[in-house]
Amino acid sequence: MPESVSNITAQMPRAKLAGLLLFFLGPAVAIYTLFSIYPLVATMALSTYTSDPSGARSFVGLANFKTLLGDALWSKPFWNALGNNLIFFAVHMCVQNPVGIALAGLLSLPGLRLRGFYRTVMFLPTMLSVVIVGFSWNLILSPLWGVAAGALKAVGLGSLFAPWLGLESSALVTLSLISVWQFVGIPMMLIYAALLNIPDELIDAARVDGLGQFRIFFHIKLPLVLPTISLVSVLTFVANFNAFDLIYSVKGALAGPNFATDILGTFFYRTFFGNQLQLGNPTMGSAVATVMFFIILLGLCLYLFFVQRRIRRYAF
Amino acid sequence: MANLRIEHLHKRYGATAVLNDVNLKIEDGEFVVLVGPSGCGKSTLLRMIAGLDGASGGDIHIADKLVNTLAPADRGIAMVFQSYALYPHMNVRKNMTFGLKFTGVPPAERERRVTEAARMLRLDELLGRYPRDLSGGQRQRVAIGRAIVREPAVFLFDEPLSNLDAALRVSTRVEIANLHRMLKSTIVYVTHDQVEAMTLADRIVVMNKGCIEQVGRPLDLYYAPANLFVAGFIGSPAMNFFEAKVAGVEGACARVDGPGFRSFDLPATSLKMGDTLTVGVRPEHLARREDGSFTVEGVVELVERLGESSFAYVRRADDRLFVAEVRGRQTPTPGERVALAAANRDVHVFDSSGLRVSSPTNT
Ligand SMILES: Nc1ncnc2c1ncn2[C@@H]1O[C@H](COP(=O)(O)OP(=O)(O)OP(=O)(O)O)[C@@H](O)[C@H]1O
Ligand SMILES: [Mg+2]
Repeated sequence: MPESVSNITAQMPRAKLAGLLLFFLGPAVAIYTLFSIYPLVATMALSTYTSDPSGARSFVGLANFKTLLGDALWSKPFWNALGNNLIFFAVHMCVQNPVGIALAGLLSLPGLRLRGFYRTVMFLPTMLSVVIVGFSWNLILSPLWGVAAGALKAVGLGSLFAPWLGLESSALVTLSLISVWQFVGIPMMLIYAALLNIPDELIDAARVDGLGQFRIFFHIKLPLVLPTISLVSVLTFVANFNAFDLIYSVKGALAGPNFATDILGTFFYRTFFGNQLQLGNPTMGSAVATVMFFIILLGLCLYLFFVQRRIRRYAF
Repeated sequence: MANLRIEHLHKRYGATAVLNDVNLKIEDGEFVVLVGPSGCGKSTLLRMIAGLDGASGGDIHIADKLVNTLAPADRGIAMVFQSYALYPHMNVRKNMTFGLKFTGVPPAERERRVTEAARMLRLDELLGRYPRDLSGGQRQRVAIGRAIVREPAVFLFDEPLSNLDAALRVSTRVEIANLHRMLKSTIVYVTHDQVEAMTLADRIVVMNKGCIEQVGRPLDLYYAPANLFVAGFIGSPAMNFFEAKVAGVEGACARVDGPGFRSFDLPATSLKMGDTLTVGVRPEHLARREDGSFTVEGVVELVERLGESSFAYVRRADDRLFVAEVRGRQTPTPGERVALAAANRDVHVFDSSGLRVSSPTNT
């Protein structure tokens, strides 16, 4: 009979056990502390200080947060960025994930030819640098030399064209859709992998029961991959509220036009590092970063309490 | 309830032929068991009957209707899978009614069928449970229940008992037999288990490498296997085979001789001097006896005692082993020299192409 691990550890001398724990857990804890916990704590600490023009810092408690949420000069751009960020997230949830699910469903159809080709092609944009994607779409959609206007005209829809990236009303949604285009491969791959896990006999049983491929997808496959879909939603949430690079590379730190594409990431960037006439303010920037952290934490808690507990995983 | 007719059925995956010209006629209400070694195409044949796989050639008729192009749900079949394939996200009741919803069975009728099937399979208590909360045997019964509520013309079972433990397998086997008696429906049943095949089947279909070797009633296959393959496949432990030659032909009688056994006469007109033959005798038909034309001798090497009988592994003069099942308390001891004989009708002779010739007559 092999001894159980807990028995073995119980019989060990304490010093040896401590050494063992240190050996196995030490490196991970050290790296995690150095690169995750320490910056987080330091940022939170910094957010409770303020600095005068000479550079000297003094402790001010929660005053920075009061300024951020109470002073119109700060709170207006903050709420604007938060609202935009919610729209950014909503577009991903409503477009990226359903499209990802649909693509995964199509990829898992029996008898599909060129499966590997489609999979690779649809995953390709995810592997491109955000800067390249942003730059390419900027060119494509440009009213001056972009191909979008010409392409629409060629199919008789020329009147639909507008300089989407330049209009306050459409810039944010356009950027969101560019991001969706780039990252739709990730939900597709995760859900496709989950679909592959469903045993063939289950699908055969559904066919004998008279379901077509469409109904099999909605009544059998989809309910069985719900855990993966919810995981994808959480990943989307975290990624969207930490997003920065696409907006920055297409629109710059000012997130124009007139801050229409400003999200928390770009707002934080301007606050912390400064931009053009605005001076960098690390302590206020830390306050913004801390608020972002708590927004994401709150979202995750809501998810864990209301969604995760209700979702059931199925073993086949 | 319906008959089932399979004509010249072929199945190829690319260049590999999986089924080769399969012809089979199954009567209304018949219980037919498909057996054969792993990979011989049993599941493939069953799935083609179900319509889950398309044919590369040939016709399938169910209830005298050509069903080649019909979807599985329209063929009037129900299938029970080896892994049960219950929908994990639906409770037992929903698992059973789910398919009916899509075939337009009204709710009241669905309810009636589920109640009836649940009563028949003792599932009443379990209707609200999910598959994960059921034991293997219960899951199997739900899978069968899901097939029953479809009220199919033909039931298809693919190794339904292979995931159950030995005791449960026996009791579920009995239940399936009872079910067949009650429903009187046509059943095609795939199994690896000889006992299942022998006990359940009205007729057994023995398959090998995508072809049907023999179709017959269980005891016919046992007592009169048509060829070497069937002879070796049916029965456990397997039949003993002895190499032999035609040593002489006198009128309608051929003298069969070979190393390790006494020569005997065979009524066979088609045999020629020098033809190679194979003589087969089942272990359970060898006994210490004086009569019987077929007698082998050897030294007992090993004895396996099972209680009601023992298996003796005997080494012949030509250094080959054969097995004899010895009944009763008089078990041989290792090292003992024995002479074992079989009755004429239990001696099977096969020609060089593996086909059965006949059994010897009394001399
Ligand atoms: N999709 C496929 N492509 C190629 N060959 C296949 C395919 N499906 C099955 N085969 C081959 O067909 C043959 C018959 O398979 P089948 O599953 O019918 O065997 P079986 O008699 O049911 O075996 P078992 O008793 O192990 O279940 C096997 O040799 C298998 O390799
Ligand atoms: Mg099989």
